[in-house]
Amino acid sequence: MLETTNLNKAFKKNKAVIDVNLYLDKGESVGLLGPNGAGKSTTISMISSLVKPTSGDVTWHGKSIVKDPNAIRLHLGVVPQEIALYKELSASENLKFFGKIYGLKGKALQDQIDKVLGIVGLAERKDELVKHYSGGMQRRINIAVALLHEPEFIIMDEPTVGIDPQSRNYILEMVQKLNKEKGMTVLYTSHYMEEVERLCDRIYIMDHGKIIAAGTKQELTSILSSEETIFVELDRSYPELVTELREIDGVLRVVETDKGIKLITPKNSRLLGNIFQAAERQQAQLISVNVQVPTLEDVFLHLTGRKLRD
Amino acid sequence: MKSVFLLQLQRLRREPILVLSMMAMTFGFVFLLGGMGSGDRIEVPIYFDEAISQSGQEELLDRLNQSDTFVFQTTEEAAAEKQVALGEITYAIKAMPDNYRMLVAADDPNQLLVNQYVQQVYADELRLQKAEAAAGDTDFRKKVDSLLADAPITLTGLTAEGESDSAGYDQKNQFLFGMTLFFSIYTVILSLGKVAEEKRTGTWHRVILSPVRKFQIYIGHLSYAFMIGFSQILFIFLSFKYVFNYELGNHFEAIVLTVACYTFAIVALGMLMLGLVKSLEQLNALVPIVSVSMAMIGGAYWPIEAVSNNIILAVSKVLPMTYAMDSLKGIALHNQNIASLAEPLSIMVLFGVLCMGIGVNLMERTS
Repeated sequence: MLETTNLNKAFKKNKAVIDVNLYLDKGESVGLLGPNGAGKSTTISMISSLVKPTSGDVTWHGKSIVKDPNAIRLHLGVVPQEIALYKELSASENLKFFGKIYGLKGKALQDQIDKVLGIVGLAERKDELVKHYSGGMQRRINIAVALLHEPEFIIMDEPTVGIDPQSRNYILEMVQKLNKEKGMTVLYTSHYMEEVERLCDRIYIMDHGKIIAAGTKQELTSILSSEETIFVELDRSYPELVTELREIDGVLRVVETDKGIKLITPKNSRLLGNIFQAAERQQAQLISVNVQVPTLEDVFLHLTGRKLRD
Repeated sequence: MKSVFLLQLQRLRREPILVLSMMAMTFGFVFLLGGMGSGDRIEVPIYFDEAISQSGQEELLDRLNQSDTFVFQTTEEAAAEKQVALGEITYAIKAMPDNYRMLVAADDPNQLLVNQYVQQVYADELRLQKAEAAAGDTDFRKKVDSLLADAPITLTGLTAEGESDSAGYDQKNQFLFGMTLFFSIYTVILSLGKVAEEKRTGTWHRVILSPVRKFQIYIGHLSYAFMIGFSQILFIFLSFKYVFNYELGNHFEAIVLTVACYTFAIVALGMLMLGLVKSLEQLNALVPIVSVSMAMIGGAYWPIEAVSNNIILAVSKVLPMTYAMDSLKGIALHNQNIASLAEPLSIMVLFGVLCMGIGVNLMERTS
């Protein structure tokens, strides 16, 4: 349905996207995962026809949208990262305007407004000004606008940034419903691993403008089938301990997190003794040590040497 | 296009403070600077040389005060010199039998106009005195006055400058036109600033991604900015004409056309500025710089005739403000019609077309 071929985008000398090849089949939910600055937003800007690539092509049902952006626009809904709404207007006034520019009018427009307000659960508060909404409610209206013209394909660029867990859960459930029940094709970008794991059939991992891995969750985690993750929970940060752990033979990756240190090591490498000894030498207060099955986050760490939210 | 235009109107309805404050400022400044009723005449302090008799002083004062624009008020020489020295007044006239002297403390736009007027009165008076001396008739003045009152032939001289006694200057209209055009720049360009705001909030991209064509989005924004600026100026002119009885000439259609051309030029200037800036903050910083300089050089604060610097005069020739002020004063003071305003109106339109072309091009490049 949608395919990118050797997609590149450079801003002056800075290469934001390098040779990105990806595809989406009808009804699929695909995640684009990567840290801030990985090139996710630039990639989706090119896929949505907002930005022209420096080279490469994006095709929609075989038609190049680089040459003809209108080929995709009527079938596409975009939920931008920012709250792209007129905050001095009410939710229904916003929806009315965006509906009109998609050619909806009269009863059809009103029916669609009522429908999407129902989907995002804000039908009863439709006449309130958007600026009076909470962050989570604004995000929901931001999504409602993209759903108004019943697009075949929806791109969601980090739609849950900066909102409370309850609103996030509501949005994730809603996206799941749209994909599973309505058959809407979804391209979901996020740097929240758990969201992508929950929503997406396939995942592309991006870093420094390139796609560094792609596949289903199982395919990606199998990259680390011969590795395991050791998480050392500490009472505080110990930079010297991180340095020392990196020097232990067999340790593949070490990264400091909010609560401690994460190590990727070969399976059954028996390095726990070395870790305890290093902790003792640095007089580090251990809270717990866990050996875990690798997650997507660990795959990312393994591939890039960085945490996803760096 | 219609949806984008109506959306801007809807947003204006919710947040009308910008337009209302610009209109209120226009009314305030016109009243404050232009004055109301009889108090609008330019006050000129005058004192007399001892060589002029009491009756001579009264006659000269009467003659000078025949103007609708200036009011000459007698003062003492010492008081006038002290006030000028202290900067309390910027000029004063010392009247002598065959000449006059102007005491000047600082540059004042009215100074040139006062000088022109007094020079004219003195020239007329000296001509009459010569003719009286040549005629040798003691009743010469009375005869001249009666002949002028009931002249067998009336010769009216029409010039491009009209027949005003103050070389085409009317303080009330000067400030009405100047302040209205000046504040309308803020309304128009800050209304266009919604484009920069939309780019920041992301709604611009959202609209771009819809099936609406980009030129339709531009036209929606531009027509809104034009409509709001045009309506503001016309509303103010109509209010002053019909509520405050300002004399705006007999060709209101020419005023409407001038305002339309000027508003178009300012909308285009706004597009150029939008193309040059990278953010709404930069635009907000640039608007006062551009509007104040254009008002100063274009003759909105004071008549351009009062400026003698050739560089400023040359710069003024490329500003729509200069041509709008010229046209509006021409209509109000000299009853000029549309045909006689073809040149300034065409220059404003040309200015608009150029700025619009460059502005849209720059905007497209930066996006």
